[in-house]
Amino acid sequence: MIPYEFIPRTQPSAQALAIVPVLTVALSMLCGTALFFILGKPAGVAFYAFFIEPFLTSYNLSEIAIKAAPLILIAQGLAIGFRARIWNIGAEGQLTIGAICAGLIPITWPQSENILMLPAMIFVGTVMGMSWAAIAAWLRTAFNASEIIVTLMLNAIAIQILLYLINGPLKDPRGFSFPQSITFPEVALYPLLIKDSFLRANVSIYLVLALSLLAWIYVRHSFSGFRLLVGGLTPSAAHYAGFSAKRTVWISLLVGGAAAGLAGVGEISGPIGKLQPILSPAYGFAAIIVAFLGGLNPIGIVIAGFFMAVIYVGADGAVLQAGLPASAPIVFQGFILIFYLASHTLVNFKLRRIGETKEAT
Amino acid sequence: MDTIIFILTGTFATATPLLLAALGELVAEKSGIINLSIEGMMALSAAMGFAIVYTTGSHLLAFAVAAGLAMLLSAVFATLVMFFSANQVASGLAVGILGLGLSALLGRDYESLTLQAPSALSVPILSDIPILGSILFQQDIVVYMTITAGFGLMWIIQHSRVGLILRIVGENPHIAHNLGFNVLQVRFLAILFGGFMAGIAGAYASTILTPIWSQGMILGRGWIALALVVFGTWRVLRVMIGAYLFGALLLADLAVQTLNLGIPSQIMTSMPYAMTIVVLAIISRDTLRIRLNAPVSLGQNYRPNH
Amino acid sequence: MKKKNLSVLATMICLAAPTFADNTLNIGFIVPNPIGEVGWDHELDRGRQMMEAHFGDNISVTAVDSVGEGPDATRMMNRMVAQGADMIFLGSFGHMNDGIALAKRNKDLAVIHAGGYLTGERFATYAPRHYQASYLCGMAAGYVAENAKLGIIAAFPLPEVIGMMNAYVLGAQSVNSAIDNVQVVWLNSWFDPARNRSAAEALISGGIDVLYSLFPGTPAAISTAEENGVYAVATLSNNSKFAPTKHLCAGQTHFGAIYIDYVNAMMNGNFTSGDTFAGIAEGAMEVAGLSLDLTDEQRIAIITKQDEMRAGTFDPFTGLITDNTGAEAVPEGVSLDISGIKSMNFLVQGLDTTLPN
Repeated sequence: MIPYEFIPRTQPSAQALAIVPVLTVALSMLCGTALFFILGKPAGVAFYAFFIEPFLTSYNLSEIAIKAAPLILIAQGLAIGFRARIWNIGAEGQLTIGAICAGLIPITWPQSENILMLPAMIFVGTVMGMSWAAIAAWLRTAFNASEIIVTLMLNAIAIQILLYLINGPLKDPRGFSFPQSITFPEVALYPLLIKDSFLRANVSIYLVLALSLLAWIYVRHSFSGFRLLVGGLTPSAAHYAGFSAKRTVWISLLVGGAAAGLAGVGEISGPIGKLQPILSPAYGFAAIIVAFLGGLNPIGIVIAGFFMAVIYVGADGAVLQAGLPASAPIVFQGFILIFYLASHTLVNFKLRRIGETKEAT
Repeated sequence: MDTIIFILTGTFATATPLLLAALGELVAEKSGIINLSIEGMMALSAAMGFAIVYTTGSHLLAFAVAAGLAMLLSAVFATLVMFFSANQVASGLAVGILGLGLSALLGRDYESLTLQAPSALSVPILSDIPILGSILFQQDIVVYMTITAGFGLMWIIQHSRVGLILRIVGENPHIAHNLGFNVLQVRFLAILFGGFMAGIAGAYASTILTPIWSQGMILGRGWIALALVVFGTWRVLRVMIGAYLFGALLLADLAVQTLNLGIPSQIMTSMPYAMTIVVLAIISRDTLRIRLNAPVSLGQNYRPNH
Repeated sequence: MKKKNLSVLATMICLAAPTFADNTLNIGFIVPNPIGEVGWDHELDRGRQMMEAHFGDNISVTAVDSVGEGPDATRMMNRMVAQGADMIFLGSFGHMNDGIALAKRNKDLAVIHAGGYLTGERFATYAPRHYQASYLCGMAAGYVAENAKLGIIAAFPLPEVIGMMNAYVLGAQSVNSAIDNVQVVWLNSWFDPARNRSAAEALISGGIDVLYSLFPGTPAAISTAEENGVYAVATLSNNSKFAPTKHLCAGQTHFGAIYIDYVNAMMNGNFTSGDTFAGIAEGAMEVAGLSLDLTDEQRIAIITKQDEMRAGTFDPFTGLITDNTGAEAVPEGVSLDISGIKSMNFLVQGLDTTLPN
């Protein structure tokens, strides 16, 4: 069929790793040119908006940080579970519950100037995101109920809880009955990176990067990381090494929930500043792909998170400047992801013509 | 009584796109491949299926093209995971995004247009039976075909040679290879079948169930289909029961709202999801049965030459 | 408005490719969803087209659709400002707070926002008086409801939606005193055609005479009513196309005139802020697609009522109005003021549903 095949390398190739982004961009641009040509739009302007412009202004850089922070944070949490093959796809719901519960604090004390408010929100959001995930962990360990389904269903329930609350008890009393909470006081918000600026990026990105470092240390050096890795291979292997499969489930889901809950605080204490019907543009799902693009590796996830953020921010520019329909950038993002995954094969594999004699290994 | 009849009558159609996509995914997963692009495949086929019925009026052509397009997407996915050895979860999501984007792009000219819904098939005599007649014998043809496909698949997986090969490949591709089966070929065909079914599901959703195209109308139903496979513990009959149960619960929310029992609607809207969790917890206690049916190699790529 | 926008942002972008033209009024126009054949986004876009036709080369409009609510919307607004927009139209309630912040930061920018409740410096809001048409369509529904059974599908309990439901029921009761126990199904989703269709079927299976579809974001319910031979009442646009035989009535909105007023104010240099709540009198609202099944007398009664609203001699929200718990909501002889209408959160007697509180 195809006269070539991939054979595994003995060790990952650094050269190939350097070629991956180049290859990804080149191939995506090739397909993109065809796409934009069909649409009758200037391809050059679109590519410029996608790949160059996001890096040119402080505003765009700030937006990349805003977008990357929740993606990286959630992905780090999910990756811990994914490595152990615990499939938490409920980050969206955990984010929502974390945000709702953290939001109760500024809604209760709207006039507060207590600087402990944000730390309290961080604490509550993290714990409550964790608790929401704990439902799935409990049902999995006590009833053997698949965490895939439970977390997915809990997403839908979390959204309805949010809708109920902001249409009812948590509605801004002076908000003309519109479904949103009061706007949070200053002390409930993450400090901006640049004070008094219109740039929305805030210190949460530092928090995210610090936690990513922690995740890296955890995975590289701690017993727990190894435990999760072993637990993920087969249940029997985990037992053999003396680790409880149940504990693996608990840790995976709790950490994932905590990260998503914290990301929820990041949204309401960051760009949003209140509770409203839409808290996340599906970060919980986008983070799954970030986790896998990053190879479930904490450092890789940071890179993947920024990469995704760049193409999101670039998409807006492409729509505005090249006059693309809003859906075209999504197609282009699909190209980029597919070519990235295909190119990345070169890191661990090399291309060989079928029929060539095997090299001595 | 009206409420119950409404729920039972509507359940089959509501569940059909979920079930079709779930049956396709089940076959792919039985071969050891998890394909998360169902949502994108359904969206693309919904858009194109609608466009074709809108312009030509032919449902047959629409279903054929929709299935073909979804198979094309699933072939891209298959190439990624089998030729490029890319991660299955990431590849599925990436192809899914491409599908969603293409659906929005190609469906732009048809946004919020509607079609004449094809009339339901009325089985002579039987459909005149009071109550049961309207529930069981006045559905559209795809509903009956889906049920037939479900039972057919059940037999194939359990009793046929093809089913046996599929299961062996999913259990342990290395053994399958040693037994002389072409693992990659089996998996490729299983993935294509998954695409075919997702395509039919998408076209059904936009041309028969809700004869309308609107960007984003699949709204997570691909994910529900994925969940149904797990819910049904990789057994066709359970997947079918799960799909119809979920369909009934979705309609129950709306039907009960019309009665106004004084419960805030958000609680009613949460019910199908909460009930699913409860039912799942009850039926999942038998761990042995789940382990017997879950394909062991699920999610793991297979490379024949090492 | 010949000045180039001097926001900090604009100076920072040195390489932005195509910028807005210099000697025309540059307008950015943001719509939340894809643009269909009817409905909210369609009407916003039709208003934009009217505005462009009216001003010709004197304005230059960049329109973007599918800009949802949430943290991403701000980015599109800021991009438009960075490229020299003098005026920005925002098409979703959820764009409100971002829009206010945007106007605060950019001292030469005018922001016109649809469907909110806040105004600010150089930040105006507009909303059509949907409830007026709802009342008129309610009359139509009251006339044809042989069994006096009405059903409503609504997305979310926004005050605007509640106002429309109330006016609709009041209108129906004004011509048909048997109207009671009006059933409501809340979709609790911004957009879901399949769910919308099922909701319509649920109500129809309960034997309703008329289905009112409130802001569902899709004509799915209207065409479902047609298929089942039940009358349909639509919001925002004339939906006759989707229910050729059973389209009873629709509230047709016209945003163009509102936009033209704001652009004129901007060009004359006297735009400061604004709160436009425009209805039948202002030409922003009218009934459309009245069914031929209504008798001439009934149609005349509806049109007469519309004329009274235009003349200001009739207001649907004039007391005595009782809510569905039996308490007095609007006292005898009193008419609700604008803020009372815009923040409505009571249900009139006859509406059979529950709101969270």
